[in-house]
Amino acid sequence: MKSSLRYMGVLTVGVAVLAGGCKTDSDEMGESLIIEELDGDHALMERFEDRVRVTDVSFDPVGFRYDSYQIDGGEVGKLNRVADYLRGNGDVSLVVEGHSDERGSREYNMSLGEHRALAVRAYLIGLGVDSARIQTRSYGAEKPVDMGHNEAAWTNNRRGEFALYR
Amino acid sequence: MHLELNSRGRFAAGAVALAMGLAACMHAADVEIVKAGSIKTALSLKGMRADSQAASKTFRKVLEADLVRSGWFEIAVGGASVDVSGFCQGSGDRLTGQCRVVNNIAGKTLLSEQLRGQVANPRQLAHRTADAIVKAVKGVPGIASTQIVMVGARVGRQDLYLCDADGARLRRATHDGAVCLSPSWGKGVLEILYTSFHNGYPDAYRIDLGGGRRIRLAAYPGLNTGAVLSPDGRRIAMTLSKDGNPDLYVKDLRSGVLSRITRTAYAAEASPSWSPDGRQLVFVSDRAGRPQLYVQALYGKTAKRLTYEGRENAAPDWAADGRIAYSSRRGGTYEICIYDPVARRHTQLTRGDGDWEDPSWAPDSRHIVCTRTSGYRSHLYILDVMGDPPLRLTSSEGDWYSPDWSSQ
Repeated sequence: MKSSLRYMGVLTVGVAVLAGGCKTDSDEMGESLIIEELDGDHALMERFEDRVRVTDVSFDPVGFRYDSYQIDGGEVGKLNRVADYLRGNGDVSLVVEGHSDERGSREYNMSLGEHRALAVRAYLIGLGVDSARIQTRSYGAEKPVDMGHNEAAWTNNRRGEFALYR
Repeated sequence: MHLELNSRGRFAAGAVALAMGLAACMHAADVEIVKAGSIKTALSLKGMRADSQAASKTFRKVLEADLVRSGWFEIAVGGASVDVSGFCQGSGDRLTGQCRVVNNIAGKTLLSEQLRGQVANPRQLAHRTADAIVKAVKGVPGIASTQIVMVGARVGRQDLYLCDADGARLRRATHDGAVCLSPSWGKGVLEILYTSFHNGYPDAYRIDLGGGRRIRLAAYPGLNTGAVLSPDGRRIAMTLSKDGNPDLYVKDLRSGVLSRITRTAYAAEASPSWSPDGRQLVFVSDRAGRPQLYVQALYGKTAKRLTYEGRENAAPDWAADGRIAYSSRRGGTYEICIYDPVARRHTQLTRGDGDWEDPSWAPDSRHIVCTRTSGYRSHLYILDVMGDPPLRLTSSEGDWYSPDWSSQ
């Protein structure tokens, strides 16, 4: 647990190069507006990212239909393989990462990605994996795996990924 | 009186009807100039002089641009109904603007004021003077002194940026290069609330611009997004998923108590925006299958669905005058729409030519800043609900999106 209002150190130091004049597209100030970072009054839970990422095994991402968080029957096999692995490797924890395609509101896409990750988490718990071993993280539309702008790319980008930590 | 749609034909008849309604309320002595777009008051700046200093010249130029951008005025050479006179001069590091505003027809002085600023910052003095003129002549808040916060993505790095309402003084507020989302102004122009991944997860933060600090607001398991400060500054609404599903929560800043507002086990909520009286939230929910807008009283049990037209409706922003702007998927594109709760009518403001999303009202309840995405590049544009054509705000290289307009 982290104590409240703990000084976390200087993040960045400004290097001010503010061009004068009145060009409306005047370049940015190099000056950093954030010089220190404080914890809020609310304690963080431990996050698996602080552990070591497992890289010797990987699982196929689970796909989703447009605007849907429901797990399709055709994707169940992928989840069964993840559950089998987790049951056989009790020291491994999982972060399910939820993603959406690029269309629509970024903020709604964050919620949709999270909803997808939580649906995957609930399914794995239903297969007997301890809930304390699974966390979620949504990237919304921010981390596409396919940079295209067509149906095929959107299908690839609507996904739940599995990040394993030990 | 002659009215016509602007040359690009992008604005709905509703905007013109609104302009006509407002025209009827204007002072009878106004000389109205009607060209493309909204109705303007003819204003002369002939009597506004500047000394030979560069700062004074900048002041004069920015003042004129601000008055045009306000949407209320057309700069007239002769026959103006409003005369602005005075001078701007520098002395040492001080810049002084003397400003007198006279309604020619009524023969009435509307404003006589001396404003002081700094030679180093003539734009700021011009913005304040322009806002004083708008307030004196039109009785509404000006927007020249306001600021806009946005997400900028340049060479693959995302950060928060700020700029003035005219797009000038673009500057970077964070140096994380991490995914960041949905910035919104907190108290005045001193605080920004937003979500950042700089610690690996989507956590909500408050940036204190005056103190140069960043304070973590919420880092619960899962999602911590969409944090917006209530109009009274005492509560924050946001989307959290800590209880197993993305739902809306309100945190009381004094007591620290967190209240759950929605309980939809099979739906995701997002994008809360406060009503002007702080008693209701408008937000996005996919409880009916696709994202649509809903309104719910803070301590009410049920939400009322607001949108039925459009395949998806998202990103609502509640104006100080009670109207709600949002982005709506109409056919193949996203368009900015306005809901007027008094008339109970939805009006489409943009007409294709790209995707228009993420609207945020200016404090004048007339202008909206939003994202226009065309050819997979995003820039910010200013829209005018009274009919003036869209104005591009950002010109620097990069993608610019998710703007929020400061309330002062």
